[in-house]
Amino acid sequence: MRSKRSSANSRIKLAVVLAALALPGGALADYAYVTNQSSSDLSVVDLDRMVEVGRIAVPGQPAGVAVAPRLGAVFTVSPDAKMLRRFGMPAGAPVAERKLDGGPIGVAVDERRGRVFVSDWYNARVFVIAADGLATLTVLATGSAPAGLALSRDGRWLATADRDANQVSIFDAETLTLRHRVTVGLRPFGLTFSPDGRLFSADVGSNTVTAVDPASGRVLGHVTTRDRPYAVAFASGRGFVTNQYDDSVSVFDARSLAAIAVIDTGEYPEGIDASADGRRIIVANWFSNSLTVIDAESLEIVGEVTTGDGPRAFGRFVSTPPATRQ
Amino acid sequence: MRYLGRFLLTFLLILPALAEAHGPTRQKLTLSVDVAAAPDAVWAVIGNFQDMSWHPAVFSTAGKGGNAVDATRVLTLEEAGGPTISEVLYKYDAAKMSYSYRITEVDVNVLPVTNYSSHLTVTANAGGGSHIEWKGAFYRGYPNNDPPANLNDEAALAAVGAVYKAGLDALEKKFGK
Repeated sequence: MRSKRSSANSRIKLAVVLAALALPGGALADYAYVTNQSSSDLSVVDLDRMVEVGRIAVPGQPAGVAVAPRLGAVFTVSPDAKMLRRFGMPAGAPVAERKLDGGPIGVAVDERRGRVFVSDWYNARVFVIAADGLATLTVLATGSAPAGLALSRDGRWLATADRDANQVSIFDAETLTLRHRVTVGLRPFGLTFSPDGRLFSADVGSNTVTAVDPASGRVLGHVTTRDRPYAVAFASGRGFVTNQYDDSVSVFDARSLAAIAVIDTGEYPEGIDASADGRRIIVANWFSNSLTVIDAESLEIVGEVTTGDGPRAFGRFVSTPPATRQ
Repeated sequence: MRYLGRFLLTFLLILPALAEAHGPTRQKLTLSVDVAAAPDAVWAVIGNFQDMSWHPAVFSTAGKGGNAVDATRVLTLEEAGGPTISEVLYKYDAAKMSYSYRITEVDVNVLPVTNYSSHLTVTANAGGGSHIEWKGAFYRGYPNNDPPANLNDEAALAAVGAVYKAGLDALEKKFGK
């Protein structure tokens, strides 16, 4: 474990220590926070031990999720209840919740600036919300049906996948001004920045992944996937794409965008994320009610974990323990 | 005037997307039945994508492409000239006795769903006989928030459930308990 950040508050440190005592060998592992839409709850999964260690009620059929280890928080969005919730980490009862208008679905967090972004599927906009207290700070206009959201790792860019406009919107994350609208493949849904700062959209309607340079707004290339690519994650210099209608993950070279392999998963794979050490890829199988854990190097399946009913895990759902990420 | 222009532009941009819009929560359903007949016998009846006459609600099947991926079929329901459902095959595995298809066109008044995909699988039971599983994943008929009762999530689940049950009941009758 790396040294704790000086900003970590002592209560969180204490919680980590207590958790370490309570769960030997598990508390310092990465955790997956999986939104189960059908059973309206959140599965907390210890990824070292490959076991579900908690199940927290999240009313209103949650889909969107965003972990924020620097804030010691997990955010969820329940579209049916139109509710944004903030949980502590490790998650327990929600510490704050906020009802929104329209069709909230996706969520991303700017940990540095303490801002939470929630896409409104029905009203072509993104709510900008204070991570503390969940007050709305402002609203950004996007293209039609914004779904996935992503913040670049260096904190420069906020991007939205405007599904029914076949485009991504790229905002300056500091000033919140719109910088680019970029036409990608058909009906982009999941959105992810690669470790080197390029933006990738999973284009459900054209079976492609599109790579975009956020600074220039230029399309850099496309990857051909299997049926209904849903979301993308990166590890070991490779991109991993869930193919919702193909029960598989497509693997491509993150630099050349060349296809590498296709890995069988559970049924209707949706949310996908990488472990903090970049060695494993975690896939949520919506129909199978499970996570598939893939070794990013060998591309072998190294584990399967049962979740609640209908895991979506739409967003960044894998986290280091709170406030230890550098 | 500026606002009118913006409104029209927004409207025109949204228009082509309406057919693809869907509700916020995908539904799923699995129904199954165990029958006395061997898997091969069951598969011989339900394994042909171009013939859904085993389902009591289907009056006729017309399609092309056989059992190859991207094969299509149009199901006519109840009677000649009855309502139709258009479908496309996207996975077919005769060895595993399993195939997957999705609806490309249906009136929500016929089946109140959108973005519907379905899977039919036959497996052998340990004690003899077959296990027939029918699974579906779909969104409700109403694509926007606050749906009317006839197009909400419950209505979608009830309608698909009724289709599956009618089909599996007919297979149970045909192949024995």
